[in-house]
Amino acid sequence: MNMSEKCKQHVDSCRFCWMCHHICPVGNATGHERSTPRARALGISMVNRGAIDLSEIMDNVYECAGCGACVDVCVTGWDPVMFAKETRLQAALEGKLPEYINALVDNCLDKGNAYAATALCDKLTAAIEKHSAKTDTLLFLGVDARYKVCKQAVKAIEVLEKAGVEFTVLADEPASGAQLDYLIGAADETKQQMSAAAAVLNGFKTVVMYDPQDATAIKRTYKEYGIDVTASAVTYTSFVAGLLKDGKLEAKRSDKDVVFQDPFQLARDLEETDEAREIVMSYAVLGEMLLNRNETVWAGNLLMAEYMPEVIKKVAARRIFNATSINAKTIVTASVSEYAALKSVEQSDVEILSLEDLILG
Amino acid sequence: MQYQMNEFLFSMILTELEDAVGKENCSTRTIDKVTHSVDYYWLSRMWADRGCRMPEADIVVSPLNATEVSKVLKIANYYKLPVTTWGAGGGTQGGAIPVAGGILLDTKRMNQIFEVNTEGMYIECGTGAIYKHIEYAANEVGKATMHYPSSLTCSTVGGFLAHRGIGVVSTKYGKIDDMVLQMEVVLPNGDIINTSSAPKHAAGPDLNQIFIGSEGTLGVITKAQIRIFDQPEERRFRGFLFQDMTGAFKASRELLQKFKPSVMRLYDEAETASLIKKIVGVERKGAFMNVAYEGVKEMVEVEEKILLDTFAKYGAEDLGSEYGKKWWDEKITFFYPGHMMDIPQMFGTMDTIAPYGKIEEIYWAMKEAIETNFPQAKFIAHFSHWYEWGAMVYDRFIIEGKDVPEDPVEALRLHQAVWTCGVRAALAHGGVVNDHHGVGIKLGRLMKEQYGPAMQVFENLKKTLDPNGIMNPFKLGL
Repeated sequence: MNMSEKCKQHVDSCRFCWMCHHICPVGNATGHERSTPRARALGISMVNRGAIDLSEIMDNVYECAGCGACVDVCVTGWDPVMFAKETRLQAALEGKLPEYINALVDNCLDKGNAYAATALCDKLTAAIEKHSAKTDTLLFLGVDARYKVCKQAVKAIEVLEKAGVEFTVLADEPASGAQLDYLIGAADETKQQMSAAAAVLNGFKTVVMYDPQDATAIKRTYKEYGIDVTASAVTYTSFVAGLLKDGKLEAKRSDKDVVFQDPFQLARDLEETDEAREIVMSYAVLGEMLLNRNETVWAGNLLMAEYMPEVIKKVAARRIFNATSINAKTIVTASVSEYAALKSVEQSDVEILSLEDLILG
Repeated sequence: MQYQMNEFLFSMILTELEDAVGKENCSTRTIDKVTHSVDYYWLSRMWADRGCRMPEADIVVSPLNATEVSKVLKIANYYKLPVTTWGAGGGTQGGAIPVAGGILLDTKRMNQIFEVNTEGMYIECGTGAIYKHIEYAANEVGKATMHYPSSLTCSTVGGFLAHRGIGVVSTKYGKIDDMVLQMEVVLPNGDIINTSSAPKHAAGPDLNQIFIGSEGTLGVITKAQIRIFDQPEERRFRGFLFQDMTGAFKASRELLQKFKPSVMRLYDEAETASLIKKIVGVERKGAFMNVAYEGVKEMVEVEEKILLDTFAKYGAEDLGSEYGKKWWDEKITFFYPGHMMDIPQMFGTMDTIAPYGKIEEIYWAMKEAIETNFPQAKFIAHFSHWYEWGAMVYDRFIIEGKDVPEDPVEALRLHQAVWTCGVRAALAHGGVVNDHHGVGIKLGRLMKEQYGPAMQVFENLKKTLDPNGIMNPFKLGL
């Protein structure tokens, strides 16, 4: 495999290190040894040594959510997410992607989303229509909200309306490239999709990113790939927290006890953990799960549910168990993807709310 | 396929195992087999580093509970298939490597936390739980497990039980074999048993202690009640520098007749000048010692006075609390890549234990044996688990990569020779084969040398419980 020397060094450091063995949300959910950073590194190192073929490890490489929990706990700075991403890129270049991944990549290239969705729900179409006029501020919804959880996308719009914000939502919103980046890393196709999105975003002064995965892509990955974003890019959570501070949204604190599920993109990638808590504390009583903020445990997503739905349900169920361990009855999310994953858990007595649910009541 | 059978029969067995644990928890995939073929054992790592594939299981199964384990063992017994039990693979002795092929039984689906009992002060859990997760559960109710090995995040409850592990606060709170109330065990014939409902009794020998340390050779421990403790009101640290280790031994022996600190770690001059200098920042000649003492605040005050008075009598220089705290904060950093020995170096930890009066002699005997017979090896040590009657030595040899043969078989021979030499020196001076990493395949050959005719007790237990010899073959010298 044509892997960079930097990545090889990380692989060879991680292959015999067990220190983050406890932290992988997928490994903890499945109980499978292969779903650990060290196992993934060992597999890649054996490919690099010619002992096994790349195609024999690719399923395993796609079991990594890229949540960065392992990176966060590593005191010496090794990065299993980096080498998983580079391995995906190399597999794409060598034509060794699993078929089900190829299909998702094709969907991203053809339709702009991994789900091959083209139509929005009627309510969202109507909500977007009201904000089709060009303003300085763009609300960027992202593909998960638009095509998979449109009810929450509508609520995201309603919150900004409630605060009297003038904003635009694009009916033909471009893909941010976050899904392609997850699937095949820094491929030319990913960069092209990101560049195209950046050109659209740069037509606005401010871009409010509803989905944390888009926020990471636009605020961090674009820079890594040399893609210039001149618009001011802010997360939805920090934008809404600002509206509260400015008195544009009325805070109505109830005595409802909730815990907040930090999306890893906000907590670890962008180091933003206070803003969502400010929102939650304006409407409810905030408790904390043991692992919170930068130690947050990923609760699943929609993209991986396309090819490992049962595992994603287990991941989400495990996070719900974390909440019930401290007797929490309600989890508030800031990621539409985690919201959907947590909602998919059957036989759970824990209420799942989004920040928008909390604000709109 | 390593186990001799035809494809037809193999497929038949596979369907039976899939029926037992679910298809998604039964694998013949390359990644699963490779993943379970390399643990923390240096030889398995070296083998993989050279691009060679270690012996692999034919089928990897992940049962959910004792019932599913029972089904797997009944199938294995019928077909006389080897079964190797795997926790998280963090063991250093090759205990979890499926050297005979057959079935690899991964316990990590048995990771449930069934009960956090703050009245009886235990957590009941599946033995596939990573110990850190048990610590999380204890922390959620303001308690702690007080079992803090460097492998806390790497290993399962069952893994620690199987190899008789130990943590850094053992001097006060005990070893893993002190941490268990009751256990559920699946015997090799598939019967599910429970050990006695309390660990201290006069109802015959202690069943817990028969299975703890048995390394998967006598059955599979599937559930355990693990003790939890109140968080200490106060935990204090004190670093000391002794001119030599003899003074430190005398001081520590005397201290332990008065009270039990939680952490006691004495580093020889070589380790003080290397790891301690690098991680903790002590840049002095001598033997560094770190002591922590904890509990109710008033008692900690008294213990501190006793500690300072006792150590002063033996010429210890008080370095204050800074280095001890730094050590506590960095205690796991030692084991990360970049700080820890790693391939291409050859290295190993030959920990052993003995009463005062023997342990220092063992240290010097092992050091001389290694350095004389293997001049390319560096020898460093620390003493990290202490009792009223003795202490253990955590001695390590390190051979730089340039002196390690490139040929994997030659490297294996050198590794075996160093280990045999070091452990025999320990045995000759009153030590044991191992203190807290276990035996595995690495040291099985030396068990008979330690136990002599006493080995028949283990051998007859094995024959009775596992007449087909399916459980973790070639481990523990059984």
